[in-house]
Amino acid sequence: MPGSTNFEISESSQLSMLGRDYRGVHFELLCEPGDRVRAGVAVMRDARRPEILFTAPSAGRIARIVRGARRKLVALQIEVDASDAVAECAAPAGQDQAAQRDFMLASGSWSSLRTRPFGNIPDPATQPAAVLITAIDSQPMAPPVAPVIDAFAAEFSAAVTMLGRISSAPLYICHAPEYRPAFDQASGARCKIFAGGPTAGLPGRHIQALCPIGFAGAEVWHIGYQETIALGHLLLHGRPWAQRIVALAGDAVLRPRCLAVTPGAALAELLEGELKDGSLQVLAGGDLYRQPLATEPAFLGASQRLLKVVRAAAEPAADDVGALDMEALNIGSLIPGDWLEANGPPGIYAVPLMRALQLGDVERARELGALELVEEDVDALSRVCVSNSNYGLLLRQVLDQLESTY
Amino acid sequence: MLFKADYGNAPGGGRRRILRIQLLALLPVMLAALVNSGYQYFQGMALLPEFDGSDLRSRLVGILSVNPEAPGLYDYLAAGLAHVLPMLLLALLVGGFWERIIADRRGHPMEPGFVLVALLFVLLLPGAAAFSHIIFGMSCAVILGKAIFGGDGKSFINPALLGIVMVQVSYPAASVLHPLWSGMAGYAGSDAIALYHRGGEQAMAQAGIDTWSAFIGAIPGTLGTTSLLAIALGAALLLLTRVISWRLLAAQFIGLLLFVWLAAAFSDPSADVHSMPLHWHLLLGSFAFGAVFIACDPVASASTNPGRWIQGFLIAGLVVLIRVTNSTHPDAVIPVLLLVSLLAPLIDHAVIAWNIRQRARRHV
Repeated sequence: MPGSTNFEISESSQLSMLGRDYRGVHFELLCEPGDRVRAGVAVMRDARRPEILFTAPSAGRIARIVRGARRKLVALQIEVDASDAVAECAAPAGQDQAAQRDFMLASGSWSSLRTRPFGNIPDPATQPAAVLITAIDSQPMAPPVAPVIDAFAAEFSAAVTMLGRISSAPLYICHAPEYRPAFDQASGARCKIFAGGPTAGLPGRHIQALCPIGFAGAEVWHIGYQETIALGHLLLHGRPWAQRIVALAGDAVLRPRCLAVTPGAALAELLEGELKDGSLQVLAGGDLYRQPLATEPAFLGASQRLLKVVRAAAEPAADDVGALDMEALNIGSLIPGDWLEANGPPGIYAVPLMRALQLGDVERARELGALELVEEDVDALSRVCVSNSNYGLLLRQVLDQLESTY
Repeated sequence: MLFKADYGNAPGGGRRRILRIQLLALLPVMLAALVNSGYQYFQGMALLPEFDGSDLRSRLVGILSVNPEAPGLYDYLAAGLAHVLPMLLLALLVGGFWERIIADRRGHPMEPGFVLVALLFVLLLPGAAAFSHIIFGMSCAVILGKAIFGGDGKSFINPALLGIVMVQVSYPAASVLHPLWSGMAGYAGSDAIALYHRGGEQAMAQAGIDTWSAFIGAIPGTLGTTSLLAIALGAALLLLTRVISWRLLAAQFIGLLLFVWLAAAFSDPSADVHSMPLHWHLLLGSFAFGAVFIACDPVASASTNPGRWIQGFLIAGLVVLIRVTNSTHPDAVIPVLLLVSLLAPLIDHAVIAWNIRQRARRHV
């Protein structure tokens, strides 16, 4: 196989596609438990926008379909088999916009694009105001971007060219000052450098700097660098990229390092033999942004690049702001120190935004720039603010109200 | 049960950490206040033979000190304790009393913030403040400064500042030191800065105040405000732990530098106070204490970074302006802090409005 990294490969026999990774999608299943699927075959689609497909990352058997409240899809679990059967996807029919979009939709890579505002999968019928490739990951302990893109330089470059063609809007590649990814200059992509602290890698910051959203109803699309490589892999080889580079970190990990894992891998398998003894807590994410683990058993999220495991005592219970209940909205008083500014979404006044979110002041939150943000941008605030508010949850409530009128 | 604040599992563990740091930062200031108030007391005793020492605090000094004729550090500390401790206990008692009643009526656990309020309040009083003023001021601080806004962290003005302002407005004489505390016979002013207002450098020299004694805090003044050294130690702790905003603190001191220079450049050279040098602005009066412990209170200051710079410059500018032009308010820090505290939400509002306009221009 062309394009390989020096990262240790971790094979998984179980993997899963998580419903929560795709906001606002009503999944329509195209398979049943027990079916054998090939890698790259569509297993689900969006009921409302049936052209958006979700494809199996690996060949195997559909093991289980987990549904939650109101029959919402929680996870589609696949038992990987050794057959390595692949449904090759056809190369794009032409150079024009429609052909490029059709390729992305048919290959399932459209679902790795995200919009701001709201963080949804973009509607294939719309045009963005800009497309951003996030070639930077500033979360502390996240995998380094440079060796990953360098190992898949051809794939990355091919995908950049394609992303430049899916719309007439400008295409930006946001990267760290020390590493500028190589790509085909003919694609018309523009490089933008982002530096300064752990928030430099958040798409919210890039959008704030390059293309602020707020009043005219425009949309910005963004895509992560590994998703970009996956798209390039489909383009060049016709088959899905069966790896994601994930960092294993935290003080309870025996050998902190980067691993090449199957997308959606089961965490129990992934972490076997990697952890120290004792009472441990697995965090999906790091210090900048984290989620509570999704299901039992837990799986890797679609855009999750860091798995942090800490001793349970090191993280006090008050720190765990992820619980999705109304208790998490219990609001104490906010002490507006300037430590909030350093952890807040850059370019946006943190304290006024936090106050607007606490009060549910939709209009003020929108004026301050809430449309550029999703949960990950304000997650660090929930942990440094003494009021115990879950700003991710509060922001989503405000965004839901804005979305209904947008 | 009166002081049993409920620390249980209530939200806001970080809030208690901030409170602990704020109290710790006041520790050197408290120590300096104890030693200096004892020192000032014995200085005054030597100068005022007619003072009979029959009040409660003087009798306490008599019990605690070992060698009142030739007092040493221990006697200073003992005399300081005899004066400050009753004030502090009373302030804590009054604050805790109201806090308990309010907590019971609201069905909330008792909030611990009144301890900081009591400490700041006492440190802003002269050493011989009347007990009735403490009861009145602390009641105002806890009820009007804190409880009516919903408790700790919800008011827009520092409660201790409000308490002091209420005392000064209701009993103007309370901010004037007892002759015993001025270190000079026949002199009655609020602190060493009033002395400068009257006589400039000459008066400083006469009273034996030089840069060093003012720096360590051996000068007459309200309890906590005399020692720049102790205040600097507290400020260092608050800055290192990021409890206060370095921007707001820097803005105040840079502002002071700027406005002192402006006052000296555009003023009447015959008036001493117009050309009062920067070091006296810093060392005399309560500017440093107010800047670190009152103005930088994260709850009652501007909450945007540009707002913090504006607020800091405003405080420094108004303090210098009042100091050089208005001899009835030689110190000026307390009224200025009150005014700027009230302005802080307005400053924030303006900054946010400007930011929203800027954003609206760039939006797609």
